[in-house]
Amino acid sequence: MHIIEVDSVSKKYELSANKGAVSLKNGLKNLLTKEEKEIFWAVNDVSFALNRGDKLGIVGSNGAGKSTLLKILSKITKPTSGEIHVRGKVASLLEVGTGFHPELTGRENIFLNGAILGMSKQEIKSQFDEIVDFAGEQISRFLDTPVKRYSSGMYVRLGFAISAHLNPEILIVDEVLAVGDADFQKKSLGKMREVAANDKTILFVSHNLTAVANLCNKTLHLEKGKVKQFGETGEVLSNYMAALQTNRLEQNYDTFDSAPGSQQIRLKRATLIPELLEGQSYLDIRNKINIGIEFWNTETNQQLNVSLHLFASTGECIFNVGTPAGTFGLGLVQANLEIPGHFLNDGTYHISFMVVKDKSIVLYNFEEVFNFEIADYREDTTWYGKWPGYVRPVFPFPIRQLSDSI
Amino acid sequence: MNLIQQKLKEIGSDWELLIILAKRDISVRYKQTILGLSWAVVKPVATMLVFLFAYKQVAKIQDISGYPIQLVIFSGILFWNYFANSLQAISNSILVNSNLISKVYFPRLIICFSSIAVSLVDFLVGLVVYLILALSLHQSISPYIVFLPIALFITSLFALGLGLIFASFSVKFRDVQQIVPLIVQYGFFATPIVYTTKQLSEKSWFLYYNMINPLAGLVELFRACLISQYDLLTGQNLSISIIASVAVFILGIIIFDKREDSFVDYL
Repeated sequence: MHIIEVDSVSKKYELSANKGAVSLKNGLKNLLTKEEKEIFWAVNDVSFALNRGDKLGIVGSNGAGKSTLLKILSKITKPTSGEIHVRGKVASLLEVGTGFHPELTGRENIFLNGAILGMSKQEIKSQFDEIVDFAGEQISRFLDTPVKRYSSGMYVRLGFAISAHLNPEILIVDEVLAVGDADFQKKSLGKMREVAANDKTILFVSHNLTAVANLCNKTLHLEKGKVKQFGETGEVLSNYMAALQTNRLEQNYDTFDSAPGSQQIRLKRATLIPELLEGQSYLDIRNKINIGIEFWNTETNQQLNVSLHLFASTGECIFNVGTPAGTFGLGLVQANLEIPGHFLNDGTYHISFMVVKDKSIVLYNFEEVFNFEIADYREDTTWYGKWPGYVRPVFPFPIRQLSDSI
Repeated sequence: MNLIQQKLKEIGSDWELLIILAKRDISVRYKQTILGLSWAVVKPVATMLVFLFAYKQVAKIQDISGYPIQLVIFSGILFWNYFANSLQAISNSILVNSNLISKVYFPRLIICFSSIAVSLVDFLVGLVVYLILALSLHQSISPYIVFLPIALFITSLFALGLGLIFASFSVKFRDVQQIVPLIVQYGFFATPIVYTTKQLSEKSWFLYYNMINPLAGLVELFRACLISQYDLLTGQNLSISIIASVAVFILGIIIFDKREDSFVDYL
């Protein structure tokens, strides 16, 4: 008997000009005019089943429907169609410290948050000391202080400590592992492992594939709301990474007329090729990345240079580099950039570049030419939280014992 | 009826959560304001004093329908504040707790029911003030005060019914929120809060008035519980109010049940 059965579940959102809540006036107008709405399937015909004790990792890029699926599974929102059968008590952790009230003390919030997450008063009472102990010594000193005076770290530690002592049959977790400092993360992961060791069923959404690989026996890969693959973690993850980490990104245009660009310049070829290590199947933080750009120039005696921008998925520009300006005649021009390994952090990035004339006039801006993902890579670590920052350089940073007396 | 039963069962199964949410609201209210408890005293007393001044000094009235002005007004205000504060709290409960509702599942009705708690505590504080006031005016307390919980219960049903309807619609249509303060503002005068039904009872439309505004019967029920030998509550008024309150409550539950699944999509 499956503990969770998800049977062709779909969730539809209607995107109208005014998203979300509407004013009464617009509501009435919509009723009368039956305005055409854009329909968006956040989750589309998803089916899978889990046995008791399965740990399911849910992976997929942003907007793949992971969070919506979790919300459906935790009954927060109803699917538009399809059915879900869940046999057992569910606790969902979509956020750390859900419902914490800033004015209430740590002690009061433990009871409040525990009750919200589905613990009985008796359960909370019996686990109270353990929760406080787990949260750390700092919390226990400020137990009767309103949590609005807590540092964000303390807030998160207390939140996680409560979550970690939930005792449901099915636990739904969204990225909460990536909280707190390294020390606390270690403890959190240890707790997750402990939970994973018994016959609890866990559904775990994460961007952190290392954590999924370590914790989950099954993985569900979502893409644009649909199931791309569901099965054993190892298999799904390697396919996921392989599909995601196009090891070679290339854009080729055979003829000038079909190529993007302006009257004067057109893109012929753009390539992004990582230098993979032996046995490696996808790009991670260690790899050097080579970017090649070839474009046609139709005018003689032009002073040109290429300026390249690399953006994070959040839209922030991480860096902008430019070639030196040179004088070029009619024909093909090529530029090459080498981004060293151990420089960019794991994450999703995109690259745009522009061809500039006389160091100031932008002839054409080729936007989002490449969209790629860099995977995480760690050795000898027990910490799986998201490594912070956009860059992840390896600088010399020695440490040694200076003396052996205090 | 099945629906009501099912909904009440849902709430019953999560009783502890309801209590803890109610406790949260109460302790937050009394922690945040320095005056805390005294607010529950100052507000009704101030309102009463203003009307007392207007009646005695300006209009030269010595009593209302033969009962002491202070008691009629204060009991009316106690009732009205309980109703109005509950209605406002219930109507806003979904939006105010949107962070909870979009992150955890629990029977949504719980958050609406628990939001009455603060008004109830305020009422009890006001009740103590009322008793002191009555004794200081050498008025005896009505023995019917034992029925006060029933009066509160019926009023809560009405406030819940109406509040659930507003809560349900305000999630999608935010300007519905604007309607509740208007009801509270005009309802205060349209309901016999600072006067009694006696001043209306000879009118030919009195019966219809009671039907349109079931609060009229409820406020007289409160007075009958609080003012000794208060005889303005008729069986007809009372039954109209009870029937209306139950009907509005059921309607509220039905509408809430229809809409609650879509709340998260608009929060």
